Amino acid sequence: MKDASYWISLAHLPKWGQQKTNNLIIQFYHENKLTIEDFFHLREEDWKKDYGLSDNQVFDLQKAKADLPNNAFLAEALLNQGYEIIPITSSEYSKTLKSNLKAAHSPVVLYIKGNKKILEEDSVAIVGSRDAADVSLRFTDNIAKNASRDFKVIVSGFAKGVDKQALDSAIKYNGQSIIVLPQGIMTFESGFKNYYKQIIDGNVLVLSTFFPKAPWRVELAMARNPIIYGLATEIYVAESSDKGGTWSGVVDGLRKGRKIFVRNPDINEKNANLLLIRRGAVSVDFDGCVLPQNYGANIESPMLVVNDTAGSDLIDKKIIDLLRIRPLNAKELLVELSLNWSGQKLSKYLKTLDFISVTKVKNSTTYSIKDDSTPKQLTFFS
Amino acid sequence: MTRSEAEKLLKQIFKLDNFYDEQWVAIEKILRGEKVLLIEKTGFGKSLCFQFPAAIFPGTTVIFSPLIALMRDQVKKLSLLGISAKCINSEQTPEENSLIMSEAQKGALKILYIAPERQENSEWIEATRGINLSMVVVDEAHCISVWGHDFRPAFKRIAKLINLLPKGLPVLATTATATKRVEKDIEKQIGGIISTIRGNLMRDNFRLFVVKVNSEDEKLIWLGKNLTRFPGSGILYTGTRADTEIYSRWFQNLNISSTPYHAGLDSASRIEVENGLMENRWKCIIATNALGMGIDKPDIRFIIHTQIPQSPIHYYQEIGRAGRDGQQAYIVLFYNETDRKLPEAFIEAGRPSLHKYERVITAVKSALLGERDLIKKTNLKQTQFRVIKADLIEQGIVREVNLGRSKKYEFVPGSGPLNSEAFDELREAKLKDLDNMINYTETTGSRMQFLCEYLGDKTTLTFNNCDNSGQKKIAVSVTPDWVDKLKSFRENYFPVLEVESPASNIVNGVAASYYGVSNVGSAIHRSKYENGGDYPDFLIDFVLRAFRKVSQGRIFDLIVYVPPTVSGNLVKNFAIKIGASLNIPVSDNLHKNRITSEQKVFQNNYLKKENVSGSFGYSEPTELTGKSILLIDDIFDSGATIKEIGKLLTYHNAIFIFPLVIARTIGGDLD
Repeated sequence: MKDASYWISLAHLPKWGQQKTNNLIIQFYHENKLTIEDFFHLREEDWKKDYGLSDNQVFDLQKAKADLPNNAFLAEALLNQGYEIIPITSSEYSKTLKSNLKAAHSPVVLYIKGNKKILEEDSVAIVGSRDAADVSLRFTDNIAKNASRDFKVIVSGFAKGVDKQALDSAIKYNGQSIIVLPQGIMTFESGFKNYYKQIIDGNVLVLSTFFPKAPWRVELAMARNPIIYGLATEIYVAESSDKGGTWSGVVDGLRKGRKIFVRNPDINEKNANLLLIRRGAVSVDFDGCVLPQNYGANIESPMLVVNDTAGSDLIDKKIIDLLRIRPLNAKELLVELSLNWSGQKLSKYLKTLDFISVTKVKNSTTYSIKDDSTPKQLTFFS
Repeated sequence: MTRSEAEKLLKQIFKLDNFYDEQWVAIEKILRGEKVLLIEKTGFGKSLCFQFPAAIFPGTTVIFSPLIALMRDQVKKLSLLGISAKCINSEQTPEENSLIMSEAQKGALKILYIAPERQENSEWIEATRGINLSMVVVDEAHCISVWGHDFRPAFKRIAKLINLLPKGLPVLATTATATKRVEKDIEKQIGGIISTIRGNLMRDNFRLFVVKVNSEDEKLIWLGKNLTRFPGSGILYTGTRADTEIYSRWFQNLNISSTPYHAGLDSASRIEVENGLMENRWKCIIATNALGMGIDKPDIRFIIHTQIPQSPIHYYQEIGRAGRDGQQAYIVLFYNETDRKLPEAFIEAGRPSLHKYERVITAVKSALLGERDLIKKTNLKQTQFRVIKADLIEQGIVREVNLGRSKKYEFVPGSGPLNSEAFDELREAKLKDLDNMINYTETTGSRMQFLCEYLGDKTTLTFNNCDNSGQKKIAVSVTPDWVDKLKSFRENYFPVLEVESPASNIVNGVAASYYGVSNVGSAIHRSKYENGGDYPDFLIDFVLRAFRKVSQGRIFDLIVYVPPTVSGNLVKNFAIKIGASLNIPVSDNLHKNRITSEQKVFQNNYLKKENVSGSFGYSEPTELTGKSILLIDDIFDSGATIKEIGKLLTYHNAIFIFPLVIARTIGGDLD
């Protein structure tokens, strides 16, 4: 892979985010038919003129260009040790990931080791707390067993608890799995030792989207969650509390319109599974079979009583429907939604929703739905 | 930059007036950011082609070089010119190396020399992130190709690295010895983006001779008579490590100053010899081909080979070190028809049998292991394991991965089956090269022309610098006085057994002979493995002579012999006879605590050590207290057994332990 150092340089432009970088790739690769090498060796004027890059962005790119020789050393070390770099333009890049995350969130490159064919299979993510209860671990085991039987790949975040159980079970049932790392792929040494057999037998793929030498950090662990969801065609939640990685991951997934299956909890369980079901997740039984709608949803779970979370997916849906018709201010929205919240609480809540765009004219603030249907992205993901 | 601008800078920085035309062609390309393969003979001034651009580039130039001696040498020279240069190598402490890396990151170094193996080191990879890299240089670039005379797997990675470097970053690969095939292979591996400059390889200051002999003795005698008649100082290359010792002792015996050099010496001793060579401390260094490439001494006046190298390209490379100053240099090659055996054995032994490859593949698949564990698991010799490992990596079946600071070997999923045809092809090529080496000794034409043409240098120059073209032939005459001198030397020269360690009262012992060098080996073999009865008396005489020579009258209280694994009472009977001659009592009290395997079953030192560790006991330990012990065995191989017994006897308060054996092996004799 001759252009590996170019991709490493481009993928980790500081503070660019996937959207900006991916849009640039769409421009030079899909529209202008340039290789990444050609693009890097364009003149500054062309970057500005043809790609509308700002001075700051040009500065960032120049810095990335200066890093190319250094990244060549890194790339050689990576490739020599059997790691692979799959850029977003490659046919080997996970199609599931691309269609789930779109240009806005798809990582620019995937660093992998192991059987990359696994990326083409149907996949199941089983997520949940690090300190999940026994019933959740048994559920996880059962889902992994069914998935492995059906030749579906298990996607695991390699955290303690549910993630680890999902992986171990997939291995136990001779299934295949993807380990999505919360760190750079070159720092996963003990993992490569422990899963050596599974990796060389083609049953485990290790994947990371971070700089290869980045050590574990809580931010990376959080940033990894959407990748887990993105890589999965089906998502099961074994157990979630009302905060933390699983919770925010599921809420984020629901907002993005993903269908998420949540294990229906028993009456006395102290977790937030039921809350997630209320927010629009689909409740499933021990075998992952979908339960009748709202099954159990009116049971008063201890969690439900304690928590006053802003709202459910239902509210979000209503907001979308209302704002699709015309932009509204907070007061108008309150009336339409017939909520007994304060205006301040609603404004605060609206700001947390990423599909809302906020317009300020003089003293009044209006809310509308973001236009996210740019045709450019479609060509990119074709 | 124009040539005259560049030459102004050249004057300022290097105190040189101008470039040779061919140098400038290469430098101009480099200054334009191109990638260049430069094939030029020793003494052409290849170094300047990268040192000059490196000195004027804003950042740091990284130079991959396989030779620590060369790195040190060049760093010294560059420093004198005021060009900041350092090298990172395994002979410096990790702290020193880290310090140098951080200097490079600060931009304080123009030139950084580094061994290609360093690319396996994660600290180095980490450090490269902070270095402002201006150029990459690959010295001795023929090491990239298996078709060259010195293929090194680490260079393969450097070729891959060059492929990954961005467009516009200059790269220079240099070598003095590349055949057309090697040249094409380098070009291919570097991705076809490199342009090649090839100069002529003729060395007209050489005087080339081939001396046909009928025995090893003739070589020793001719050299004994004539070595001092060569001008200045030089190098004598032998075929084995043991020969470096034997020749060196022979010359010492004749008061000709010389010293041995081989890869078995520790690095401090090697540096000492390299420095001594520069200072002409000896008439002659007796070396294996471990001394070599890149020794930058301008006035090596002669290079003599007592053994034919594997190919003309090896030979050209080795003699290339002579006469860099352009003054006459004498190049002598001895050839005895039986000499073919040694390089042939190297070629054949270089390729282990296929089932050994399979053994390694199976072991690699079983778990993620390091070299040591794999060697133990497969019971292979380290050298053999390394050959197999390199081949498997080359074929993409195994790869090396870093796990923290240790290296592990990983099976490559989906890799194809072992391709043994590649080995056969390589073996055939090497045997053909060896034939060509022998053709060099047989040729009646110009020897220089023979070498140039072999290297792909189609020259029209005329040659009159060899014993077939203008120089007198050398003939060997063996006179009785020299036969006697050699005989007496042979009877008084005995190999040392190096076993001393601070924790033990054992001292370095002596063997009567090397196992492979004389009729000693075959006599032992008959008794030991062919039911030939007790060791013959001539061996006893031989051992007694060695003992008397080395022990220098020291009194021993007791003889202890190494108890047998399989060969019955051979050693016991032998010890009794020695005891009778020396009038020292023999003790039967050293015994085995547990059944061990024959040491020769184990192909590597890890297993040999484990096999004997804690395996001996002593029945009447009080008899050892305060005593001087003569410890007797038949063959000394790795030394693990003798050292283990030394520890035990020391533990039981023996105050002096002197090992005495019939023969010492030289790696691989017992196969």
